[in-house]
Amino acid sequence: MSRSSSRPLFDGYLDPRRPHAQAYDEMFDPVDGVRTAYKRLHDSLTPLQPADLTTRAEALDRALVDQGITFSLSGEERPFPLDLVPRVITAAEWSRLERGVVQRVRALEAFLADIYGEQQIVADGVLPRRLITSCEHFHRQAAGIAPPNGVRIHVAGIDVVRDEQGDFRVLEDNLRSPSGVSYVMENRRTMARVFPDLFAKHRVRAVGDYAVHLLRSLRAAAPASVTDPNVVVLTPGVYNSAYFEHSLLARQMGVELVEGRDLLARNNVIYLRTTEGDQRVDVIYRRIDDEFLDPVHFDPDSVLGVAGLVNAARAGNVVIANAIGNGVGDDKLIYTYLPEILKYYLGETPLLPNVDTYRCWLPAEQTEVLDRLDELVTKPVEGSGGYGIVFGPDASPKELQAQRRRIKANPRGWIAQPVVQLSTVPTKVGERLQPRHVDLRPFAVNDGDDVFVLPGGLTRVAIPEGSLIVNSSQGGGSKDTWVLAPRASGEDAELRGPGLGTSVRSDSTSTPERGPELNVAQQQQQQ
Amino acid sequence: MKWRLRVVHTTGYRYATAVTQSYNEARLTPRHDDRQNLMVARLESVPATRAYKYTDYWGTEVNSFDLHVPHTELKVIAASVVETTDQPEPSVAATWSQLRSPEVLDAYAEYLEWTDYVPKHRELAAVARSLRKGRTPEDTVLAVSKWVHDKLKYQRGTTGVHSSAVDAWQAGEGVCQDYAHLTLAMLRAVDIPARYVSGYLHTKPDAEVGETVVGESHAWVEAWTGQWWGFDPTNDISIGHRHVWVATGRDYGDVSPLKGIYSGGAATAIEVTVDMTRLA
Repeated sequence: MSRSSSRPLFDGYLDPRRPHAQAYDEMFDPVDGVRTAYKRLHDSLTPLQPADLTTRAEALDRALVDQGITFSLSGEERPFPLDLVPRVITAAEWSRLERGVVQRVRALEAFLADIYGEQQIVADGVLPRRLITSCEHFHRQAAGIAPPNGVRIHVAGIDVVRDEQGDFRVLEDNLRSPSGVSYVMENRRTMARVFPDLFAKHRVRAVGDYAVHLLRSLRAAAPASVTDPNVVVLTPGVYNSAYFEHSLLARQMGVELVEGRDLLARNNVIYLRTTEGDQRVDVIYRRIDDEFLDPVHFDPDSVLGVAGLVNAARAGNVVIANAIGNGVGDDKLIYTYLPEILKYYLGETPLLPNVDTYRCWLPAEQTEVLDRLDELVTKPVEGSGGYGIVFGPDASPKELQAQRRRIKANPRGWIAQPVVQLSTVPTKVGERLQPRHVDLRPFAVNDGDDVFVLPGGLTRVAIPEGSLIVNSSQGGGSKDTWVLAPRASGEDAELRGPGLGTSVRSDSTSTPERGPELNVAQQQQQQ
Repeated sequence: MKWRLRVVHTTGYRYATAVTQSYNEARLTPRHDDRQNLMVARLESVPATRAYKYTDYWGTEVNSFDLHVPHTELKVIAASVVETTDQPEPSVAATWSQLRSPEVLDAYAEYLEWTDYVPKHRELAAVARSLRKGRTPEDTVLAVSKWVHDKLKYQRGTTGVHSSAVDAWQAGEGVCQDYAHLTLAMLRAVDIPARYVSGYLHTKPDAEVGETVVGESHAWVEAWTGQWWGFDPTNDISIGHRHVWVATGRDYGDVSPLKGIYSGGAATAIEVTVDMTRLA
């Protein structure tokens, strides 16, 4: 990159002394220069002067604040930083990734159905029983609940990264309440407003119709006897960091956004209290964790959920989406058995490989992990948001010692992975573009017949130089993710027609009413 | 010995102010196995409601019901007729090394883990290890049960529904729930898979046919030493025709006979009565 004077933005971009220089850069091949996918984008960016970049970035920030897109970081609301350079994925790359995600969702659906049913995979000796029973999110309360159309993973967020060769690998599965899709849609809306010229030069596949697919999946999940299902979005409330997303999805689907106290269970049927009387609810797209969903079966002190909801689902009168207990499918120890799970249920080998992972609960692998703690990344098997992760190379001897104790005390609770040098994409840092590490969370929606994968997904970018931690809860940013349409396809491209950012409005005029709080548990001692 | 027994279990709550909503689950229906034959079972509540039945993860029949009429008392009556026999002597005896085999550890993992009611405790484990010395797994179960029976004094009011094995052991007093939890804590400490059993005990060994006696809502344990078999540490007796079992689980939390959520004032448990009549 010595021709710096003609391309001030990329000055010193591929500095060989940069941290993690082995990482795959998605725009530049170290030998052949700009990769095909990024040619047009690169050509559009190159003539820009640093001042232009700043002007555009400011326009982007203003647009984001106008749209009210913020996220909460340690209790403080901030605009979610959207980088102005989009990330580009070619049609061929996407097609492979999409097939891999679909395969994974299908296998995990079969796995969850089995685990909360007959547990044949355990009976056949393919997985140890203890692997399942020791999983924190294996919820015995969900045993025997069979959703009408068999779907438990209505929405999945499969986190992938590109390794040093540029190959996509799955880092983790999110099958509970994966969030972030609102950023995908809002980022696109913002980018289209601020950079219409870029979209004119690319055939970028649209993401604005996500809610249509989600609503289709939720309606398809309803009990078979219901002809026009009543779907609601259940949120923990305005203080939840993803409340913006909950309200956006409810608005776009044209359904009620409700809290637990707006709902009532009576004889195993769920009703929405309104000023016009109780309305029966058939499908609940819930964004509340299992543990708070129903005080009868989970935390008796929780007021976020609906007493009686679990048994209403068991009786087949309401569908909870995503299903209760999906966390057993995204446990990071169970993740390491995905090849076995895929083979057992689908007879297939993974289209998307995992990241190599050591299992601390196997004594031999634990020994290796403890020996190499300073070069590995250790992660808790459950949880997300980057909490609890220890980067061996960055940790002090004291931190490593503490981590060693934690692993020995609870080997089931930890896995370890080599440091994956996540791929990099040009990102605005100061007045120039710098390589910054990214991951990708594609969103898959299962309606029982097809698994739809929203083209693209949420690209998260680690802003500090050399950082490999991309979580928004750790101060990361995001990028608009462009999946290019195949050359001769009829796929809808952004800004080629109507529909961008439009939404269906709820026509309901009723307002929710609230019932009494149910929060007192009663139990008797056996004498 | 083979008995036919009618069990009428009345339980419930009285509330300080009227309750307008309540959601409950009752685990009160006796089970069916080669020692026990359930002939009929019925559940009623006052105020009346329609119960929804399902079988939970542990195989227990659950009656779930909700109430939406204001009430100051909830009464639940579970009535059943069961035929019972004595538990046969365990016919398969596993060795200590069999108990520690990976297959057994995996298959019975849930019954070897620590829970809030059955926590890991160093001193209790040391006692359990000393009782194990020179004994087979089966004899160890009996020795531990005897130790618990001798160590605890049966006394109501000292412990409560949330007391753990260690709480009871430190208090030196407890009720059958505590005897069971303490026995489980010690058996698990020496790698014997062990589970909590909820049920009833007929209190009169020489009862006449047609005689109704005051029975007990009871709890005991089952251990796996090559096969599952039960023992009653509260009374230091084998499981026989006077025992009627309802549910098994890792601890009380999995088999709670009646639990629920309600809105309203403070609740007190009404007097629990268990009437047991020998029919044959």
